Amino acid sequence: MESSVQSQSRLTESAYRSSHLHNGDRIAAIREEMEYLNTIGKSFVAALDRFQVHRALLAALQELYSFAACSILLKGDPYELSIIPCYPLSQAFLAAMIERIASAASVMDFPPVPVKELAITSYLDAPDELSLTQEQHMIGGTKIGSFLNIPLTVENRIVGMLSLFDEHAGAFDSNLLKLTTMIADYAAVALENVRLRERETALWRQAEIGRQRLELIISSMAEGLLITNERGGITLLNLSAQHLLEQARVDLKPETPLRDLAVSSNVSWLPRLVEIIDKALKGETVMNQELIAGEAGESVPLILSISAAPLHDGNLSRSRPTGVVAVLNDVTANKQIEKLKDEFVSVVSHELRSPLTAIKGYTQHLVRRIERRLRKAQQAQLQQGRAITTVELPESYDLRSLSIVQSQADHLERLVNDLLDLSRVQWGKLHLHYSSFYLVDVLSESVRSVQASAEQHTIYLDIAVKDTGIVADKLRLSQVIGNILDNAIKYSPQGGLVTVRLERSHDGYLVSITDQGIGISPEYLDHIFERFYRVSNTASRQYSGIGLGLYVTKAIVEGHGGRIWVTNNEGLGCTFSFTVPVTGQLG
Amino acid sequence: MSDYSSSVSREQVVEAYLKALRLIDDRVTPFLGKVTTRVLVQGAAKRVSSTYPFLHFLIKMPYTEVVPAVMQEQLSGVSPAELSAALDALLQECFAGLKELTGDLIAPSIHEEVTRQLEQLQ
Repeated sequence: MESSVQSQSRLTESAYRSSHLHNGDRIAAIREEMEYLNTIGKSFVAALDRFQVHRALLAALQELYSFAACSILLKGDPYELSIIPCYPLSQAFLAAMIERIASAASVMDFPPVPVKELAITSYLDAPDELSLTQEQHMIGGTKIGSFLNIPLTVENRIVGMLSLFDEHAGAFDSNLLKLTTMIADYAAVALENVRLRERETALWRQAEIGRQRLELIISSMAEGLLITNERGGITLLNLSAQHLLEQARVDLKPETPLRDLAVSSNVSWLPRLVEIIDKALKGETVMNQELIAGEAGESVPLILSISAAPLHDGNLSRSRPTGVVAVLNDVTANKQIEKLKDEFVSVVSHELRSPLTAIKGYTQHLVRRIERRLRKAQQAQLQQGRAITTVELPESYDLRSLSIVQSQADHLERLVNDLLDLSRVQWGKLHLHYSSFYLVDVLSESVRSVQASAEQHTIYLDIAVKDTGIVADKLRLSQVIGNILDNAIKYSPQGGLVTVRLERSHDGYLVSITDQGIGISPEYLDHIFERFYRVSNTASRQYSGIGLGLYVTKAIVEGHGGRIWVTNNEGLGCTFSFTVPVTGQLG
Repeated sequence: MSDYSSSVSREQVVEAYLKALRLIDDRVTPFLGKVTTRVLVQGAAKRVSSTYPFLHFLIKMPYTEVVPAVMQEQLSGVSPAELSAALDALLQECFAGLKELTGDLIAPSIHEEVTRQLEQLQ
């Protein structure tokens, strides 16, 4: 609270007052002044709001002067002007005061002070007792006789201005100016304290509203929310999470580390939850991890999808998270639907296969019979000495129609096989039958087969290894290469070169198939191996397919212990690559 | 106020007005405090800088930090007469500002003292 003026002022003011006094009187005067300063200091310190500061200020100033009014102009946008009258003031006097305040503020280099605006927004803080003394002290004059403006400073900043006014000339005394400045300093600090307190209260209220809002959101969330501390102890479970965990019949005690709970509890899925939380506590964000939270033997067990992320205390550079926030979703219904869908696909594909086999068989039978008839017709033409022609015969048309039926039946068979493979993958029944063979043979055969029906394309086989011996499922690897090659042909409609390259990798063989087709947009690369996933852009919409080939392909490669991925080429087409170990899991 | 137009150097003008500013500082600071006195002078400098742009540096720089060397550097090329007029205008604005704040409580006596001092230094 000590201002630049105060320390000097006390001494000089005392010296002035006591210059003509004897020592005893001088000491008494100093004591009196100290008591005065102590009293006003206390009243300023005790002021909790600006009105109490105004009261303290008025009381302190009235000890020094008899005046009409004082005012406090606080800097800000907008300015705040409080006028504190000692007795009722005329409108003209008030207007003159405001003019004078604006003029003094401009001298002190305040931002422009709009007089009209001040006149409208100024606050008249009249003491209550004025209503009682109105009759005795109503101001008559309209002009200012004397004035005093003292800037309000806090820590070397001018925060506003104190102004005193009276209708009579000579109301203020230069000998009391220092003391007045000291009172202004007290008032400035008290007002700054009030401002800080108001700011603190406003911030606190704002924070409290934010907290309540957040609490409401968390409690209303359909998703379960679980928050832990840095030890993995649960600090918050929202209502949805409580319901989910109640279904899973687990009683989670607040603050108890989940790790300890997993050890002491016989709940089978808790270790998995601990694993997820521990990963997040190490700073890793874990996404959509499924957790079967039901009990063994339940017909429809509760399945939760959990995503967890580390919590940091504002400072992300801190290495250790202060906790974890995890979101729990009940995906049981989704899983049930998926299961039903898989079962449906499995049943339908099995049911389709039988009639399809019959269609293919009988079509084959019909083709052979018609071919026999045509041969007989040709022989008859030959015996009659005519030139051999079968074009006009109805059997020729039948044969063409049947070849279309055969081609479509083959296509249908491939679809059904894909669906069956999907079911096998889903149920974990994609069994691989290992045997020894040369990978180059499978590649050559696949290339030959695909090349036969791809006249616009040139498929180039590049073998960069001498020994291509392998132990794997030959048919399935052939299916993998066939699927990728089919896609390469399908998605490069303008033709072009397709390169199949075989080389050694550190973990076996690396097969890469590069085309010059339409390529894959980067945003689809991560999803291309998902089941039923089809790139939905204009360029690829015209190509048929149900989005299972690459899903099954991936399952076969991974079943062999290999990896598969796709990359976009610079400018043209893409490259599918997969690895496969030299020695499979025989036996 | 004083007329430095004919016979004195720029250095002498600078010295005389720096003394005047220090005198204002000595007399006003005990009453209104250091911050207010500084802002009073800076406000005055701002108002006269439209007429005397070479005094613009006083708006940003507290006058208490202004030493003859700084003045010489900032005011090179300004004639003693022009400098004298500018610094005189600055002092007048300072007193006008002081009067705007405290009326006739302290401004007249300080004004008189400063005038007297400048006359002695002439």
